[in-house]
Amino acid sequence: MTSKVIEAKDISVSIEGNKILENITFSVDRGAVTAIIGPNGSGKTTLLRTLIGLLPFQPGGRIVVLGKKPRESRPKVGYVPQRFTFDRSFPITVREFLRFSCPGCDELKLKKYLSHFQMDEKENDQLGNLSGGQLQRVLIVRELIRDPLILYLDEPASGIDVSGEMNFYDIIRHISGDHGTTVVMVSHEMDIVYQFATQVLCLNKTLCCAGLPSKVLTSDVLEKLYGKDVALYRHAKK
Amino acid sequence: MQKAFIAGIMLAAPLAFLGVYSTLKKASFFGDGVAHASLSGIALGILTGVSPFGMAIIVGALFGAGVYFLERKTSVSSDSIIGILFTGGMALGIILLNLKQGYQPELISFLFGNILTIHASDLVLIIGLGVGIIVFLSIVYRRLALLVLDKDEAWLTGIPTSGLELVFYVVLSISIVLGVKLLGIILVSALLIIPAASAKLLSKSFRKLVLLSILIGEIVVIGGLILSYYLDFPSGAVIILTGVGLFCLIAAWDGFRKITKEKS
Repeated sequence: MTSKVIEAKDISVSIEGNKILENITFSVDRGAVTAIIGPNGSGKTTLLRTLIGLLPFQPGGRIVVLGKKPRESRPKVGYVPQRFTFDRSFPITVREFLRFSCPGCDELKLKKYLSHFQMDEKENDQLGNLSGGQLQRVLIVRELIRDPLILYLDEPASGIDVSGEMNFYDIIRHISGDHGTTVVMVSHEMDIVYQFATQVLCLNKTLCCAGLPSKVLTSDVLEKLYGKDVALYRHAKK
Repeated sequence: MQKAFIAGIMLAAPLAFLGVYSTLKKASFFGDGVAHASLSGIALGILTGVSPFGMAIIVGALFGAGVYFLERKTSVSSDSIIGILFTGGMALGIILLNLKQGYQPELISFLFGNILTIHASDLVLIIGLGVGIIVFLSIVYRRLALLVLDKDEAWLTGIPTSGLELVFYVVLSISIVLGVKLLGIILVSALLIIPAASAKLLSKSFRKLVLLSILIGEIVVIGGLILSYYLDFPSGAVIILTGVGLFCLIAAWDGFRKITKEKS
């Protein structure tokens, strides 16, 4: 079996007549952590949603996820959106919310991930009473308990505080390293990308660059991508 | 009266159950829409001599399917689509009824509800469809909740979201039309909204919300029918006023509870 778990070729996406993505071609290896970077409106979320199969792409392109069409591989895929909006006054507990996605999931696994994300004490709380950061953690737990082979994360640490953020990325590294889960994430935090990603895709409607963080995250590339002088402070950990 | 009780008990549970999802989906207006649009089915039945109740159910199901397809295929908002189909269906009903000469007592019973016009054949239809809807909801309870709460996640977990949403709209429409005989076109949607809205004030979990909604729905219908019998008032109106009264009591209690909690 090929080590490529995602293969995208000539992907173009238009929404209501507006071209959002043009001729995107790339592949992702099994167990890799791929970061998609780019300015606002560059099509990062659109690319994720297209890979998942939530958005259609134009004829002539091809996406193969885990050897199948995105639609067919969806039960093996997890997705944490950038924003999750719901009626906060609606009575539903954290446990119920998790169980709706995975009614047959192992109880121990559910408790383990809640504990990893310091949410074990919130299990029976109402979802609407959680803070933004806590809700984000619950969304991540909801995907992890389904044991996805690929995890798509759209700015996953937004709303999570600094200590929670490092803990979160450590867990992501652990999931990727030990479980072989492939992670594709959208991020604006270059330091995080540099530390955790094994591949970077620079997006601005078209794919501007792709490769190892150490090769791609240079001042020149970032300046071209964001249109401004961007300085990258590298974390000592890597 | 016996038939009304059986019909009421059979209708309260599915309507209250579905009310939870329509509240979550913020689609309370849907109930009003389908009830009013069903007038064209009733008119068609009166005009052709075919069961007006049966025709209303068919038109109701078509309304649900129509809203579903137009929501997906156009960029028009859901409220506008319901508003257009609601008024269009009602207008068509008025024109069709205009073609029939003379007073239409059956029409009045559909507009305001009349327990005395519930025939044995209607009861069979209400029991059959009511049981079917409850069984369906018991099976898809979790999947439907996820679909309404987070459509993307529902799709990812393998739920056929398009199919389930279409079935939900059709089932919701049929349930509302089933209640038209008891409560009338004008009032029926209240039985969808009041139990879920009342139960929401008392619940902290989804499971409790569903169970309390059904319980409140049954209390409202049975209590309302008993009151209407002894007061000799129109049953539909008394049922709704019982529901509104119960909601006011629960809302007042909830408000009082919040105030005392804040003070302590």
